Amino acid sequence: MSASPDILAVALVGNPNTGKSTLFNALTGMRQRVGNYPGVTVARKSGTCDLGDGQKVELVDLPGLYSLAAASPDEQVVTDALAGKIEGERVPDVIVLVADATNLLRNLFLASQLAELERPVVLVLNQIDVARAQGLRIDPAQLSARLGGVPVVLASAWQGEGVPEVRLAIAEAARARRLLPRVEWPANIATALAELTRVVAADTGRPISAAEAQRLLFDTSPALPERLGWSAAQRDPVIRAAREQVRRSGFNPLAAEPLVHYARLRKALEGVVLEGAGKAGRTAAVDRLLLHRVIGPLLFAGIMLGLFAAVFWLAKFPMEWIQHGVDVIKGVVAPPLDAYPMLQSLLTDGIIGGVGAFLAFLPQILILFLFVGILEDSGYMARAAFIMDRLFSWCGLNGKSFVPMLSGFACAIPGLLSTRTIEDPKARLATAFVVPFMSCSARFPIYALMCAAFIGPLHGPGWESVVMVGMHCVGLLFAVPTAFVLTRYVLKVKPQPFVLELPRYQMPKPRDVLWRMWQNAAEFVSKAGTVIFAITIIVWALSYFPRDASVAARIKAANPTVAEEVVKAQVQAAYVEQSYMGRFGKAVQPVFDPLGFDWKITVGVLASFPAREVIVSTLGVTYSVGEGAKADSRHLRQAMQDAKWSEGPRAGRPIFSLAAVLSLMVFFALCSQCGPTIATLAQETGGWKWAAGSFVYMTALAWVVATLVYQGVSRIS
Amino acid sequence: MNIEAVIVGAVVGVAAGWLARRWLIAARRRKEGGCAGDCGCATKVKPRK
Repeated sequence: MSASPDILAVALVGNPNTGKSTLFNALTGMRQRVGNYPGVTVARKSGTCDLGDGQKVELVDLPGLYSLAAASPDEQVVTDALAGKIEGERVPDVIVLVADATNLLRNLFLASQLAELERPVVLVLNQIDVARAQGLRIDPAQLSARLGGVPVVLASAWQGEGVPEVRLAIAEAARARRLLPRVEWPANIATALAELTRVVAADTGRPISAAEAQRLLFDTSPALPERLGWSAAQRDPVIRAAREQVRRSGFNPLAAEPLVHYARLRKALEGVVLEGAGKAGRTAAVDRLLLHRVIGPLLFAGIMLGLFAAVFWLAKFPMEWIQHGVDVIKGVVAPPLDAYPMLQSLLTDGIIGGVGAFLAFLPQILILFLFVGILEDSGYMARAAFIMDRLFSWCGLNGKSFVPMLSGFACAIPGLLSTRTIEDPKARLATAFVVPFMSCSARFPIYALMCAAFIGPLHGPGWESVVMVGMHCVGLLFAVPTAFVLTRYVLKVKPQPFVLELPRYQMPKPRDVLWRMWQNAAEFVSKAGTVIFAITIIVWALSYFPRDASVAARIKAANPTVAEEVVKAQVQAAYVEQSYMGRFGKAVQPVFDPLGFDWKITVGVLASFPAREVIVSTLGVTYSVGEGAKADSRHLRQAMQDAKWSEGPRAGRPIFSLAAVLSLMVFFALCSQCGPTIATLAQETGGWKWAAGSFVYMTALAWVVATLVYQGVSRIS
Repeated sequence: MNIEAVIVGAVVGVAAGWLARRWLIAARRRKEGGCAGDCGCATKVKPRK
């Protein structure tokens, strides 16, 4: 906790998907990412919370964990934060434990462990509305009395119920400093723990806490002893002897901890939770259908098809309005600058043409995230992960790989950060390697452009959504065998049990869904106004300069009888071809010729390596500059539909044939074209080796598969 | 040199400079252990003691 000493530091902990981030948002007024599936928070987030009497505390939202036996990096963040082991941060003054009121026994296991930390605790029984609907009645006063008098609050954070009481309880906990009662270990275990504490202090020269002694005795992870500087040679015989002592009291050393805690908790909960008649079976009944072996995947495919069809259908008119708006702006800006053709081209072809082409996809992005938000918050996305489990378990991935993969469909970066929930480092590495294959939202504009310009007009609107779903599956199709080879032959990952807690179904909260949609829209627009804007200017400059006046003179002299408009168009095309971008594109184009890309697409592809969505604005600029500045310039879509090969064996044929369109989309589906993703991969894997490997592998794979698609489809069609 | 060329040169120069600066800041943030995502998020993963 980095709060100043005069402000209380409060940590929010609990099992995954208990609503910690929702409570955090309710207490701080912030808008941290929430989701109806486990593993949404993978790093600490902090905010200020007003306790109501003017007193402020620093509240820290921590990733979810089931036990203090941290196995994965995100769980390690929690145990380190609670123990004050994070540099520059202090031990929390109060711990707010958020427990799922519908599953109290399992959630209180963590509370029972937290008692060892000897910090004041507030116990929040969240989702009490759901517990009531299930017919559960909980007596908070009795539970508080059984747990040493710590404040117990019934809450429903997403409905705002109990939030003021949580504020008061935090103030009360800080004042009264009531602690959870520590577990009473059987004599042999207590002796083993005491002996362990003594030997570690003697061997390492530093005392350890009771919680650390328990981790050494009950866990097999070497993380803690390594951090204590307790060598394997020193610790192995000591831990072996301690566990032998535990065994003498009739316990398996690795199972003793939950057995003792649960025995105590069952006693504490007697008479506290009363079960009545409720609707507990509704989720199970829906799941029988949605998770059915055959019906489940079919329904999933149907939902995805419907989603993309709706995105295309609903976004059609707003997209046309944006394009019309861009035309109007061009029409206003261009005429006063007729005397300054260079400036006119920069504004109309470069900035307005490039940024406008990118912004035209805003309605589709908005609608896509609206539907994805509804699916996530309803609890269906976790089911989708479960449905895909059969596929993933075949390729040897850990059950926890689903959430990173799922996040990767929005953006690879949070997906890569979510791999911290995976305990096995090799499985984490394999998952991180394949997350960039997931079809992120940055790929969406190029798919949408190709589908709207070619697939829809040529094959009918229904095919747009089919191709869209297909493109989202292409990455997955290659991620699975890649993961198979990695886990089976390269990293040799041991099979892991599949553990995914399915959240209950709930009605999505409009405020949260709309907020997330707004956040994505804001990010999209801010990207258009910053990175895309700057890159567009550079691409324009490279497509505009140099302008040799002799080019125009030569073309005019060679076509004395041709209409002025036609000559003008020829001059503009010649200028672009002899620009820096044109020369560069033509020099590199042979590499992409087998994929069916002309030099303009080649330029777009190369400009997209730092960020793949740049392709749309780059094509917008290169096609606009080639057209020359005119108020009635055609939209990018029309310009692409009319583009033809000017030379070679394909002269006169359309550049964007079905084969080239599919090849371009497949290339973008598989290619590694995102600088921040490569950097995050390097950070998460601890070096550049895997990041460089990912870049080379994905790019080479994209080239090979796109070539096969172009050559194959060209021959068939 | 005419005013038009000066304006266009300045715009292109500022755009290139801004992109380079942004890239350098992201690289520095990564070096300090911050989010490598260049996404502007506040996530800061500090190394453990």
